[in-house]
Amino acid sequence: MLQDYRNPWLYRGMWVYLLLLVGALLLPVFYTIYISFNEHGFGAQIYDFTWDWYRVMLGNTQIIDSLRWTLGLGAATVAIAVPMGLIAAKHYKRTRHKLVLVTLMLAPLFVPADILGSALLVYFKNLNRACNWLADTLGLEWIRTWFELGFGTALVGQVLWTVPYAFIVILITMSRYHAQQTEAARSCGATGWQAFWRVEFPQIRVGVASASAFVFILSFNEYTRTNLLKGGFDTFTTVLISHMFNTGMSEDSYAMAGTVSVISMLVVGGVLVWSLARVERLEREARAAATPLGSA
Amino acid sequence: MSGNSELAVETLELGRRYGRVTALEGVNLRVTKGSYFVLLGPSGGGKTTLLRLIGGLVRPSAGRVRLHGRDVTDLPANERPTTMVFQSYALFPHMSVARNVGFGLALRRVAKREVRERVDRMLDLVGLTGYQERMPHELSGGQQQRVQLARSLVLDRDVLLLDEPLAALDEKLRKEMCFELKRIQEQVGITFIHVTHNQEEAMTVADRIAIIASGRLIEEGSSREIYEHPARRFTAEFIGETKIFEGTVEAADGARARVDIGIGVIEVGNRDANVRVRDAVSISIRSELLELLAPDETASAAMQSVPATYEKTIYLGLTSSHRVRLPDGAEVGVRRFSGARGTARIEPGAQVRLAWHMEDARLHTS
Repeated sequence: MLQDYRNPWLYRGMWVYLLLLVGALLLPVFYTIYISFNEHGFGAQIYDFTWDWYRVMLGNTQIIDSLRWTLGLGAATVAIAVPMGLIAAKHYKRTRHKLVLVTLMLAPLFVPADILGSALLVYFKNLNRACNWLADTLGLEWIRTWFELGFGTALVGQVLWTVPYAFIVILITMSRYHAQQTEAARSCGATGWQAFWRVEFPQIRVGVASASAFVFILSFNEYTRTNLLKGGFDTFTTVLISHMFNTGMSEDSYAMAGTVSVISMLVVGGVLVWSLARVERLEREARAAATPLGSA
Repeated sequence: MSGNSELAVETLELGRRYGRVTALEGVNLRVTKGSYFVLLGPSGGGKTTLLRLIGGLVRPSAGRVRLHGRDVTDLPANERPTTMVFQSYALFPHMSVARNVGFGLALRRVAKREVRERVDRMLDLVGLTGYQERMPHELSGGQQQRVQLARSLVLDRDVLLLDEPLAALDEKLRKEMCFELKRIQEQVGITFIHVTHNQEEAMTVADRIAIIASGRLIEEGSSREIYEHPARRFTAEFIGETKIFEGTVEAADGARARVDIGIGVIEVGNRDANVRVRDAVSISIRSELLELLAPDETASAAMQSVPATYEKTIYLGLTSSHRVRLPDGAEVGVRRFSGARGTARIEPGAQVRLAWHMEDARLHTS
């Protein structure tokens, strides 16, 4: 490998290839953002910069409502999926049945979105029917709405889908952690929770933060499951796609698409920069450890 | 439930199983207050499991653990009067040396000023004054172990458990740290229980040694007892370089036994083993107590000998191992200081007699 990089043109060629690849993948996204700032919209011969389409978007109460629901659903998904992924990752480190645990945790990823969404839809409808029957028969009115389609059912669909990602991201970070440190903390008088919070968590928090960002983006951009399970409310993505289906891409649709893209890239880019900075710091520390400052 | 309060640690029929695997079984251990006690044995023998059971890091499958007479079997690690030093990777990498050492005190909400004073005192005790603000990755292996030691000692617990604390250090540093550990234990006066597979390390620090192997407590005694008078064949084989003869008792009285070892009949003291005729026995003799005689050399009446063929000498620095082969094909090493005269001049292939004083041989029935 090192031999290959002695040829500067090969090294530069590698970079050109990477930039072309990333460019090809992201060009349509940047093009959408570009159009969203054109006063004359898609296909116009002339380009005049404007914020108008964003003003139109922000003046639309349906879009603002959907943005609120999106952020709420994202936050709730993060609040549930990340702790679940963390618990599963901790259990993975301790259990002897690792293969079974990984298979179970990753199973939701192998089910196509529309299949999982419609399966959950049928499931919730049946549960809803059962709850209605119980409410009618036994007078338990308080359970009638438990499984009506809405925020809760959409949340279940999103959590089911995002937990595997949270699990994997946290597990990767956790692989650097030595369980002996927990035992050392316990033998210094720490309870199980204190050992986790004061010793383990500070060392895996990058993974937890990355998982949170990842889950939030997944939730923010999710369409199929959310659309099937959301009931009466809309998310930013369901509104955008419904606009596209019903009226085609309007200028404010480009503004919406641009907003989704920018938010996603900012969150992912932010986490990436933070993670890379941390990796660099850990490597610096590892190099320092290889040449101790003093002897015993 | 309370037991003997002169004992720091007492285990009663202690056992631990992992599925179908028995890691430890029926261990009855008694450790006196203020002693330096070593659990010595081969890797995978169960000594670390025993230490972790005492420290509350593992729950026993059977038996009880008492610390200072109090039954602590059902208490977690943080509620026991024990603390532990691990082999490696146990310092908290995101905390400075001072915060590592003061970790347990901070949990107890001790005033910051007092924490600082006690941390400084402990770092002074382990020879790391001035290292308070260093991070663990800035320390060498030996320094990291000293920080672990300070972190444990600062808690003023009654029993300090050390799980192979020197295993990751190089030979020279390990020897230095052995003396250091012994000095610190004598200074603080608490009970140390130290797990190791290294017998030199064990001999250096221990007041008493317990041999643990195959999940069982094989034998316990002072360093000298374990080395010079091992009761069990396993101990004799594990400690030092030892020749074991297998044989059958031909005749025995209260003082001596005559044993047929296949290549001859030898006599051995029978006071401790008290064997009877036709018993299958083992006889152990440490390599430094063996001697090589010329075939025609007259041995004293108290000496036993068997014929052997001299093969070669392996130079080991301070000592050399003179290798001879017995008529049954077994190879035996005779250990001598490298400067010693005599055996080194024997030509390879020469016939010799492998000899020893009768009282240097140990008779084992198990």
